[in-house]
Amino acid sequence: MTESAISDDDFQRFREYFYRRSGIQFEPSKRYFVDKRLVERIRATGSTGFRDYFAMLRFQASGVEWQALVNEMTVNETYFMREDYQFECLVQSILPELAARKRRGDPLRIWVMPSSSGEEAYTIAIYLLERWPQLADFDVEIVSSDIDTRILAHAQAGLYSQRAIQQLPAAWLQKYFKREDGGWRICQMLRDAVAFTRVNLNDAREVEAYRGFDVVFCRNLLIYFDDASRRQAAESFFDVLRPGGFICLGHSESMSRISSLFRVRKFPQAIVYQKPLEGQ
Amino acid sequence: MPLIKHTAAASVPPALALVPDQQCDTALLDAPDAAVRRAAAHALGDCPDAVPSLLRALEQEVEQPVRSAVLAALGRTGSEEAAAGLAACLRSEDAWLRNAAIEVLRGLPAQVATVIAHLLVDWDRDVRILAVGILDTLRHDCVEEWLLQLIEADPDVNVCGAALDVLAEVATGTARAPVERLLERFRGEPYIAFAGELVLGRLARSR
Repeated sequence: MTESAISDDDFQRFREYFYRRSGIQFEPSKRYFVDKRLVERIRATGSTGFRDYFAMLRFQASGVEWQALVNEMTVNETYFMREDYQFECLVQSILPELAARKRRGDPLRIWVMPSSSGEEAYTIAIYLLERWPQLADFDVEIVSSDIDTRILAHAQAGLYSQRAIQQLPAAWLQKYFKREDGGWRICQMLRDAVAFTRVNLNDAREVEAYRGFDVVFCRNLLIYFDDASRRQAAESFFDVLRPGGFICLGHSESMSRISSLFRVRKFPQAIVYQKPLEGQ
Repeated sequence: MPLIKHTAAASVPPALALVPDQQCDTALLDAPDAAVRRAAAHALGDCPDAVPSLLRALEQEVEQPVRSAVLAALGRTGSEEAAAGLAACLRSEDAWLRNAAIEVLRGLPAQVATVIAHLLVDWDRDVRILAVGILDTLRHDCVEEWLLQLIEADPDVNVCGAALDVLAEVATGTARAPVERLLERFRGEPYIAFAGELVLGRLARSR
């Protein structure tokens, strides 16, 4: 019979381990959330209890259960304006610094990976239009990529639920969306402003097609990867970026824990990572 | 009129052909251009025969992005030869290289199994402590067994303390007697007492 109760000590041991591996910290107030999911995974894997499950999680060579657990423990969703302090950082700190190194009319390239259903790439486009006066001086390209072609089709269609748009300021919603049956459709101008492409970040050959970007947004993806895949992704991002380019990760992710290729940049709005300029 | 000019779809550039048709050309690890060396290193991760060249490059290369690519390539080869070469890096004076080698080795559990026994009895206690660091997140069924063998025999308090830190997470009932013997052997060492009691306390509560 499966013994599924999670003791205080189990919880403490698990949260230390999970934090060390994922960077995600569960406060004691999240105990119910964590316990519920742990018990689900203990049952799903046929483990006899926490100890049995924890040993399997820790030593399973394939890492399959780790990925399954991370999927359960993270809220896999996106919406417009999610972690908007990074978009503030983009328009207030990152882009002005990049613009200072460019000539008027130069291309400025932003890569969103993973695209998911497009909310992040479209939010960036809206921020540029609304909050970055220098936009008129540069030819901005936004490429938004994902491994999942179905989600890319969704992104290109640009039709969103009420839940996805609820953080948008009313004025922006009115300006860039139209109410339709089934939700809110983002305007054609913004759909045209983002290029959606399919790519597998773990396939170095596929990523070789992506070069010369100034900013990469890769938020809440690396937490799903094992350590080796994270390092490989960091190597890929290094080659994707121009010297001096920036990478923005999710709030619980840290490039410093993955690779020493990038410099930490602390801006007033957010901490991001930068590929060193040549000669640095 | 759109403010964001749309040239992206057609402008995702073709792959950089830094090492065209020369995927296993180890000579490119000596190219004058660091970008070429880096691209060559990445390509050599798919060439198990290139491990000696990659290990040599790891010793000689000075550009950090290239060294990073060489390490990633060594990890990708997944060979025992690469694991042995990376294990040798634990003796390096270069802290970055030591830590980076540990990170890569943690991702090679089967290959680490072929070198860990020697590392855990190395004459240099710093190497033994770093070897315990490899076990910290290594996914291998023998981690606890290796650590218990270590605490039964190792004469150094810091090595045993590092092992107890890892055992706090991985210990099962099998660890109880070895940990008790360690506490006895290092009676009067405050950290061993603290870390050992933590392990034993956890074992008692999880019975």
